[in-house]
Amino acid sequence: MLDRKELDTTSTGLVVDRRQVMAAAAALGLATGLTALPAEAQETPKKGGTLKLGMEGGSASDSLDPRTYADSVAIAYSLMACNCLVEIDDKGNATPELAESWEAKPGATEWVFNIRKGIKFSTGKELDADDVIYSIGLHRGETKSPAKGILEPITEIKKTGSHQITIKLSGGNADLPFVLSDYHLIILPNGYNDFTKTLIGTGAYTLDKFEPGVRIIATRRKDGEYWKKGRGNFDSIELRYILDAAARTQALVTGQVDAVNRLDPKTAELVMKAPTVNVVRSKASGLRYAFVAHRDTAPYTNNDLIMALKYGIDRQKIVDTVFKGFASIGNDHLISPANPYFDAALPQHPYDPDKASFHFKKAGISGPIELQVSEGAFSGATDSAVLYQEALKKAGIALDVKRVSGDGYWSNVWLKSPFCAVYWGSRPTADLQYSQTFLSSAAWNDTNWKRPEFDKIVIAARAELDTAKRKTMYAEAQKMVAEDGGMICFAISDFLDGYSKKVKGVAVHARYDLCDMRIAEKGWFA
Amino acid sequence: MLRLIGTRALLGVATLFAVSVLIFVCTQILPGDVASAVLGNQATPEALAVFRKELGLDQPATVRYFNWFLGAIQGDLGKALTNGRVIIDEIKPRFYNTMFLAGYSALIAVPLSVGLGIIAAIREGRMIDRMSNVLTLMTISVPEFFIGYVLIILFAVNLPWFPSLATVYDEMPISERFYVATLPALTLTMLVAAHMLRMTRTSVLSIMSSPYIEMAFLKGLPRSRVVVRHALPNAAAPIITVIALNLAYLVVGVVVVEAVFTYPGVGQYMVDAVSKRDVPVVQACGLLFAGVFVGLNTLADIAAILVNPRLRHKR
Amino acid sequence: MLIFGHKPTISAWIGLAIIALNLGVALFGPLIAPYSESQSVGGTWEAMSPSMLLGTDQIGRDMLTRLIYGARMTIGIALVTTCISFFIGITLGFTAAVLGSWVDMALSRLVDIVLSIPLLIFALIILGVFGSSIPVLILTIAVLDSTRVFRLARALGMNLAVLEFVEAAKLRGEGTWWLISREILPNAAAPLFSEFGLRFCFNFLFVAALSFLGLGVQPPYADWGGMVRENAAAINFGLLAPIWPAVAISMLTVGVNLVVDWLLSIDARPSGAQAEL
Repeated sequence: MLDRKELDTTSTGLVVDRRQVMAAAAALGLATGLTALPAEAQETPKKGGTLKLGMEGGSASDSLDPRTYADSVAIAYSLMACNCLVEIDDKGNATPELAESWEAKPGATEWVFNIRKGIKFSTGKELDADDVIYSIGLHRGETKSPAKGILEPITEIKKTGSHQITIKLSGGNADLPFVLSDYHLIILPNGYNDFTKTLIGTGAYTLDKFEPGVRIIATRRKDGEYWKKGRGNFDSIELRYILDAAARTQALVTGQVDAVNRLDPKTAELVMKAPTVNVVRSKASGLRYAFVAHRDTAPYTNNDLIMALKYGIDRQKIVDTVFKGFASIGNDHLISPANPYFDAALPQHPYDPDKASFHFKKAGISGPIELQVSEGAFSGATDSAVLYQEALKKAGIALDVKRVSGDGYWSNVWLKSPFCAVYWGSRPTADLQYSQTFLSSAAWNDTNWKRPEFDKIVIAARAELDTAKRKTMYAEAQKMVAEDGGMICFAISDFLDGYSKKVKGVAVHARYDLCDMRIAEKGWFA
Repeated sequence: MLRLIGTRALLGVATLFAVSVLIFVCTQILPGDVASAVLGNQATPEALAVFRKELGLDQPATVRYFNWFLGAIQGDLGKALTNGRVIIDEIKPRFYNTMFLAGYSALIAVPLSVGLGIIAAIREGRMIDRMSNVLTLMTISVPEFFIGYVLIILFAVNLPWFPSLATVYDEMPISERFYVATLPALTLTMLVAAHMLRMTRTSVLSIMSSPYIEMAFLKGLPRSRVVVRHALPNAAAPIITVIALNLAYLVVGVVVVEAVFTYPGVGQYMVDAVSKRDVPVVQACGLLFAGVFVGLNTLADIAAILVNPRLRHKR
Repeated sequence: MLIFGHKPTISAWIGLAIIALNLGVALFGPLIAPYSESQSVGGTWEAMSPSMLLGTDQIGRDMLTRLIYGARMTIGIALVTTCISFFIGITLGFTAAVLGSWVDMALSRLVDIVLSIPLLIFALIILGVFGSSIPVLILTIAVLDSTRVFRLARALGMNLAVLEFVEAAKLRGEGTWWLISREILPNAAAPLFSEFGLRFCFNFLFVAALSFLGLGVQPPYADWGGMVRENAAAINFGLLAPIWPAVAISMLTVGVNLVVDWLLSIDARPSGAQAEL
């Protein structure tokens, strides 16, 4: 009957009105897409349908083993089948997931986590503390897991109840819940180690088909309601690997998929004009694009040269042309304006050819400077470098841009070349962002910038539970990195997700795209 | 004749062996190894050491090669270093897909371009000759992905006749496979047609000044008959060679087209493996591709000899 | 007007005019380009306007200027690589055909092996061992391309080597070089010319395809294939940016091949065509 009625209204002269409504809706969608899209909390989720996802960020060598996860597709499929202890909400706060609550002892060196009761794995087994200890233990000790580094400060994980664990740290860390939200730390049943066919977890779906590089098919669990209210609404999920940005875009526009990640900023504005598509832009949540100079290698030891390089880059021009405005300009310190610890009072380095020229002359460097770039570092690296070259030319500084192979870039060029392009991913906390990049002891300190004063501030801030005090400490750290560090972080990208208009429950997220890679669990069809 | 084919086949196997060694050596020379490639910018020295040991990369290369080779001749290509999946199971459907797309494209491209080439030779300098020439030349002047994009815009977006995603699955019926793979097949056709068309036309025309062709004309035969019956057999060798080269390209050179249409072939599988330095997978793909190349070239050699009587009875 | 002792046809004139135009642009590019090669003059993919006749590219550089500067690099590299690859391919291919037996076998297998190694791996090895520079790029493409030329030259040579005039020359006691250059080459010229016309154009794109590996033309220098690649995303939304370099390549491809066709027809016409008339 309902269908019938709708048919009648469209065929009885109401077409014009409908069109106007649609146009208004489209305009609204565009407007909300451009700013922050409010979570559609007032709408009740509906069950049903197959969500077809088209994603970049995976390959034929993807594995189900959480110790190998490194990119978007793996995060997305693992979160269909599994949960973590802690979830990051839309605003960027750590909220309970499988951990119901937690508490830090003074000094933040000892933490107690209470595990939710009555949660069942898809095998029917009930979740308890042993599962959690086993799952986190996979990433500790002798392992190849990328999460090993962030778990290094954990000295002991103890079972203090059937559903409670106590974690001891070698030094205070007020951000431990954020650390435990890391996507590698999905919770599996105790002793589970067969990662060839499927994943057993507490998530909303089970993985039926795992064909890395081609597709992943998941269906909603049959054994009762998902333990999160209003989540896990789709009957099934079909995730397809679509690596080519144009192919992904066209698949969305022609309705072959319902959602895609990583829209090409160059064409995003045009995608927004498509009537069936809704673009969600998570501002400054994306990748930090930078050129990094080794501060311990001549000529980059010279502070004036570094200042010349920082004043000589036309950030706005790069953001406007290479990223079509879908990025924020960076201030050389990696912290996004979206982060609560971002110091807005710190002056932004402007493009100032005169200042750059002044510092360059003072530095007294002769001969050109070579910058190694590759599309393997990030897409747009070459174009950014060419614009940088042009901007420096106006300051009388000669920059040689050398395009190197994208293959093996991370093992052959990054950390080795004294001046090269790099991207840094978003980290949920200022501490993680700084500990991995700028601490003297950091394995990935790609500027070879070692300052004991800085290390001291970051380590002290880590254990500080008072937010206001923390804020001043991080402000100090940002200032040191921006003024003395070897990183020219010129842009922080926006995440650009594309959804079909019929997909509801989508929102911007402070950490990852596609609703923190949880669109399969959070979304529903109108 | 049998002896000829026998020798060729043996030589083919020897070539394959040489290629397998060479590819293995190449993968060893390549800077970086699977451990650092997989872990990317997330690799810590300890994680690397553990990973290398786990993968057996601490063993000498020769040991690894012979272990692999002994397995390969028994049909066991080993497991992928990166995700531990059995390579033969992964590569089988992909190779089938690759051969399907190559076959589909060849089915369109070879008759079309050879046919048009012959027609162009018959009607040399006329409208159809010029049109087919200029059109095919234009298609090879743009990169493959560009043709793909244009076809998608025309026949998937503006006229929604075909899907822009050409992903095929195991469970797909054959008719649907053909339908889904149409756009990539057309793209490939456009890429290879010009080369074969022009070689057909030129080879035929270059024979046209021979005395025996003049003889045929003097007998009063129509031009079409002279071209097809008299000129074509003698012009066949270069045409066959170019067809073989293009067929080989259809199998091994299509990774870009695979990416544009999201087609699950061997090309993308190998590119992923190379970038991750997954040596057994690279080896397996390399061996498959080499097999196709050697096979096609051997066939082309034999065919060229068969169509030319002078070569058949070589003194 | 006569060229090579023959009067060009209309289509040959068109071809010659296109080639002359391209050569002129390649030689005098910097004098006629409205802007400098790397200068950013506007936003991304701006439309055509009086000051920017063909609009702008993906980072706001003037498209016409890039095309003009790109001519030199593109044509230069393609011409040199194609010449080298034909020299290597033809010499080895004919040698194999004339000498036969083990020489043929060894060369053919060698070529099979080189052809069998996937391009990606081959290019990575080259890059790892020799680094990336324009000479390395040229030699890499030339060597890879010469294997294809070898296959064709050998097939042609095999057919010719068994003909009477070659046998006669062999009996006269002529050397291999004589056989190759005086007996076989002139008679295999037509298909080889045709192949040259195509390979020359394939190489425009080959250069661009290798650029991801760092083996291509270094920024900020322009090359047409690379320009199509960099601007390709625009085509999905009906913007003209990638069309212009594609048109430049197409024009030159068609132009070169029109001239090739004319040269072939000079060779092919006399006896057969006269008899037909």
